Amino acid sequence: MGLVDRGRLPKPLTTLFNMGRSYSMWVYQWGLACCAIEMGAAFGSPRYDVMRLGVIPLPASPRQADLVVISGTVTDKMAPAIKRLYEQMPEPKYVISMGSCANCGGPYWDSYSVTKGVDQIIPVDVYVPGCPPRPEALLEGIVLLQQRIKNEDMGARWRGEGTVPMNAVDGESAERGGVPVVAG
Amino acid sequence: MTLLGDRQQLSYIAAQAADARVNVELETEGMTLNIGPQHPATHGTLRIIARLDGEQVVWAEPSAGYMHRGYEKLTEVRTFPQVTALVNRIDWLGSFANEVPFILAAEKIMGIEATPRAQHIRTILFELSRIANVSLFLGDLGVQLGAVTPVFFAFRDREYVLNLIEAATGGRFHPNFDRIGGLKDDLPAGFIDETRSVMKKLRNFCDEIENLLFGNEIFQSRTRGIGVIPKEVALQYGLSGANLRASGVDWDLRRDQKIAMAWDKVDWKVITHPDGDSFARCWVRLQEVRESTRIVDQLLDTIPGGPVMVKVPKIIKVPEGEAWVSTENPLGEMGYYVVSKNDQGPFRVKIRSASFNNISIVPWVLKGVYVPDIITILASLYFILGDIDR
Amino acid sequence: MFPLSQADTTEAPRDERRESELAAILGVLGANAADSLMKPNDDIWVRVTTESWRASVDAVRSLGYTYFCFLSAIDWMPSPFGKGEDDPTAPPPERDSSIRQGYAGGATRFQLLARLVMPGSTSGVNLKCDVPDDSMTVESIVPVFAGANWHERETWEMFGINFAGHPDLRHIYLPQDFEGFPLRKDFPLLARIVKPWPGIVDVEPLPGDENEEESEQS
Repeated sequence: MGLVDRGRLPKPLTTLFNMGRSYSMWVYQWGLACCAIEMGAAFGSPRYDVMRLGVIPLPASPRQADLVVISGTVTDKMAPAIKRLYEQMPEPKYVISMGSCANCGGPYWDSYSVTKGVDQIIPVDVYVPGCPPRPEALLEGIVLLQQRIKNEDMGARWRGEGTVPMNAVDGESAERGGVPVVAG
Repeated sequence: MTLLGDRQQLSYIAAQAADARVNVELETEGMTLNIGPQHPATHGTLRIIARLDGEQVVWAEPSAGYMHRGYEKLTEVRTFPQVTALVNRIDWLGSFANEVPFILAAEKIMGIEATPRAQHIRTILFELSRIANVSLFLGDLGVQLGAVTPVFFAFRDREYVLNLIEAATGGRFHPNFDRIGGLKDDLPAGFIDETRSVMKKLRNFCDEIENLLFGNEIFQSRTRGIGVIPKEVALQYGLSGANLRASGVDWDLRRDQKIAMAWDKVDWKVITHPDGDSFARCWVRLQEVRESTRIVDQLLDTIPGGPVMVKVPKIIKVPEGEAWVSTENPLGEMGYYVVSKNDQGPFRVKIRSASFNNISIVPWVLKGVYVPDIITILASLYFILGDIDR
Repeated sequence: MFPLSQADTTEAPRDERRESELAAILGVLGANAADSLMKPNDDIWVRVTTESWRASVDAVRSLGYTYFCFLSAIDWMPSPFGKGEDDPTAPPPERDSSIRQGYAGGATRFQLLARLVMPGSTSGVNLKCDVPDDSMTVESIVPVFAGANWHERETWEMFGINFAGHPDLRHIYLPQDFEGFPLRKDFPLLARIVKPWPGIVDVEPLPGDENEEESEQS
């Protein structure tokens, strides 16, 4: 696959690849706190059913996953484990930070043991606010991430140059390249 | 029932002894198994370090603290209403039940009591959060044993209860609805009829789970006679809730404690089981969901009229004093020791959460069990990480 | 003398069950009990001497209080940081730092607090015990209640109180290299010190509130 990392892929092929990637995301569920239950409701319950979006929530190991949902409070004791699991995931990898605690510390903003935001440890693509966010909010976050993947330059992502959108859907997202999205 | 339990327990002990003999003959080497902090088989981020000899656990130690958020320190820099918003998130499956003992403790120091209507609605919401909590346990139980179907049923029927809580309080998960002196608001129109129909659905859910899981031969052979906790040991470790009642202790704070709630106004019974094994703990919880639906049904018939809030000042100062209040939460006895120094916020709050005591027995109960039984024993002890670590 | 009001004639509420329970506890403790308090229809507090902590817990247990509820501690010194709502640029305000112990008295800054309950009932007792300021050491009660193991680890981690005879005094919640004892009142919450508490803005009246006040005045 030397073509991809050199960025010499014809545009229609890139579009096809991106579409394939965005609709077959294997998501590793990192359930930490209250949000894990809402994530479970979004991923495991018949009412919300995440698989209709082309997301498969069942990998047994982070080595098979494209996307990780950090759902819940990240403590200083947990942070090294999160970093290590993120490093085990293959490129290209995406991160959704779910809930106020993972976004910024949330109600524990002044605690002595809570990390104030998972973005201090790993890069985040989509933030889903809420305490905890409803399952619908998480699904919206996933849809936003899929839009971003569809507009992505695969070569840049492979080379680790951040998420630069290749062909913007609207004029705004061209300037938003590399900046995380906030759902809701 | 007891006979079968005895026989299985004896055969389990005999197999353990035989296995220990095999371990000696084969000269198996010890090995340390680390489960967690993130592992599909542990719900939440509990980490278990187990030293094994062959298939048997020689020594096991849970390592908590991956979810420690420093609640007791944070309460000291917050006012009483702010603390209510915080303690919702201790046991996140039954949030409303966490608020009640704290508010009751504050009311006790102030010397006030909520109106009868508020007490009644509090009890209804308390039992609804118990149903929401334990129904997910019953679904999750299947997943721990390799049966995936029950969890879909659990999520389906739990949504109905969450909708009710959301309709009444505005919060699906964390209601933050309880106030010193009563409740934030009255029940919405149509709540009573809707709740009745949901309670019917939940009774059906209990029947379904009973048929799917509890009558299953594999389930029975994996839980009967395994992880037995005798009564004396359970008391020494401070086990509470269904774990204690499954060891044959007839004790329920809802019945035995004189408290400003409405449990004494309805007819229900405390479920106990004499065996003290994993099956007993799961069975007691299942029956308790049934009892809870009965409690809610009866309470709906007898809601008294009147306001839901007594007159309290807008900015609440709690006078100097100390109080201990505990209630029978979904996970067990949850209590708050509140020390106030005539201030807007508490001086010190000791949070006694049920899972912390329930899980401190793990090193004792895991000694000598087989590796697959670690998961079933942990599942049946039932803990919530936020409730252990706080 | 005539009573000033109706309320003065009513006697203080009696709670005979708790009175007899307190008498039984004080009887078995003897000279080990330093102070006690019984609030009718509420609870019992007993403070025991530091030297007799383990023996006293054992004695109360032998009365039938076999259910171990919890063990923790209280730091009675008021926090030098208040509620953590100070302006970091202004000089620190004066604060009252006198130590006042709560129910059943005491003489030291730190006090142990444990609760034992008679199973099957709600008869419980809150046991307190002073922690010497210099040695900060109390006897461990793990030989009496095996369940106290984790509670003592937590108390050691949070307050720095040592338990003589504890089998395994390690950190339970925090990383092994954590410094300081978070629940001591002089442990600062740094996030609150470097940044003013954002809730202070709530003090400003909302537009709606002003109108309300005006209409009340007019």
